[in-house]
Amino acid sequence: MSVVGPSGSGKSSLLRAAIGLQQPLAGTVEPEVAPAEIGMLFQDDALLPWRTARDNVALGLSFRNVPRKSALVQADYWLDRVGLASFEHRYPRHLSGGQRKRVALAQVLALTPKLLLMDEPFASLDAIVRARVVQDVATLVEEEQISVLLVTHDLEEAIGLSDSIYLLSQGPRARITQHYQVPLPRPRDPVRARMQPAFAPLYDRLWNDLSNAVGPNPRAEAAE
Amino acid sequence: MNPRTMNPRYAWLRQLTAFGILLLIWEAAGRADMLNPLFMPSPSRIGSALYELFSDGRIWPHLEATFTAALGGLMLGLVAGIMLGILGAMVPLIAELLEPVMTLLNAIPRVILAPLFVIWLGIGLASKIALAFILVAVLIFFTVFTGIRQVDQRLVERIITLGGGRWALVRHVYLPSVTAWILGNMKVAVGFAFTGAVVGEFVAATSGLGYLLSFAQSTYNSALMLALVLLIMVVVLLIFAIAGRLEKYLLRWH
Repeated sequence: MSVVGPSGSGKSSLLRAAIGLQQPLAGTVEPEVAPAEIGMLFQDDALLPWRTARDNVALGLSFRNVPRKSALVQADYWLDRVGLASFEHRYPRHLSGGQRKRVALAQVLALTPKLLLMDEPFASLDAIVRARVVQDVATLVEEEQISVLLVTHDLEEAIGLSDSIYLLSQGPRARITQHYQVPLPRPRDPVRARMQPAFAPLYDRLWNDLSNAVGPNPRAEAAE
Repeated sequence: MNPRTMNPRYAWLRQLTAFGILLLIWEAAGRADMLNPLFMPSPSRIGSALYELFSDGRIWPHLEATFTAALGGLMLGLVAGIMLGILGAMVPLIAELLEPVMTLLNAIPRVILAPLFVIWLGIGLASKIALAFILVAVLIFFTVFTGIRQVDQRLVERIITLGGGRWALVRHVYLPSVTAWILGNMKVAVGFAFTGAVVGEFVAATSGLGYLLSFAQSTYNSALMLALVLLIMVVVLLIFAIAGRLEKYLLRWH
């Protein structure tokens, strides 16, 4: 499931409230899973720079009192799953942006979450790396049967990854204005989803609704 | 010479050669009576003054006194600076009380406190340790205080979302961040500690490199003075090298 909306509509705040990083100004957040079963992938990978990739992945496990030896074995397993089997001793500074993102993903998946919150996690990556990471994330969450709540500005990404999309209105006091079902079959390659016939009409609808939510372009108005 | 044709790997060799040539010119000028030995003794005279200091063993008690004062002040300054920095960053009331005092101490050249410490603590070791301490403690206080306040909030949130509590934040985020900041300032702290010790000895003491400097000044012994300056430089460079190695090892992730 994805949430899209104009800047300032509170998309990130929604996720932060869901995981307890901030209190909602009004109302309550009632996730159907326990807080320990919610993982979050941020826009910045935010890995501890003084820990190796392996130690970063094992970190969350150590907070759950998993013995160190076992935590390291699990860390190696997850690094392998995200395609970084031989990078376990590298520090984040010695990894590329895509590799750091994969370590951050392994760190979250190692905690076997039931719900994964993703706050524009691919925004900082260049096109090719981004496409590969998106494909791998989609495969991994499908294999692990994890529900995902994705916040993004990228409509292609929202359609390619989601089964349903919610559109938020302009903030403050934003609310859900539209709900869309994504009519693309699964399993699905999120990067090539745009080649499918059902993609363009949904993209067009989303684009128009989002443009209306943002309001008229001040430059265009001034020109008139 | 085209800088692009110069191999940076041999920069040390070029620097050493240039220094050697300078020494040779200096020595030749001294021997040709072009320099007054009272003001500018030749390198060989400085070398022999240095040799005498070590050969008759006179230097050791002075080195010991300076080292004790500098390292004592450094250790106490580190402990106090770290503790006050942590308290200041964590407890707003303490920050409110400490920050103006520390800002004031940071704004003045703290070596001017040396005569006051002599009056308070006497001409013994304590006044030198106190001066080295105050120089280091203020530096480390600001290092830790700023370091904790500027900890990357994304790392804090990362730990929280992974299920870490307050202790996990201290252990995995705050301590490593602050350690990196302290190690980054370690060379400055070592320099400050030796400055405090030597200046304290220079003002009033019965032993130490600063005391010897003061003695050399009062007897117009330029050769001894320059030999001591050279010795202090070598000692500080040696400690810089040790601090650098420690920094390189502990910040290997950097």
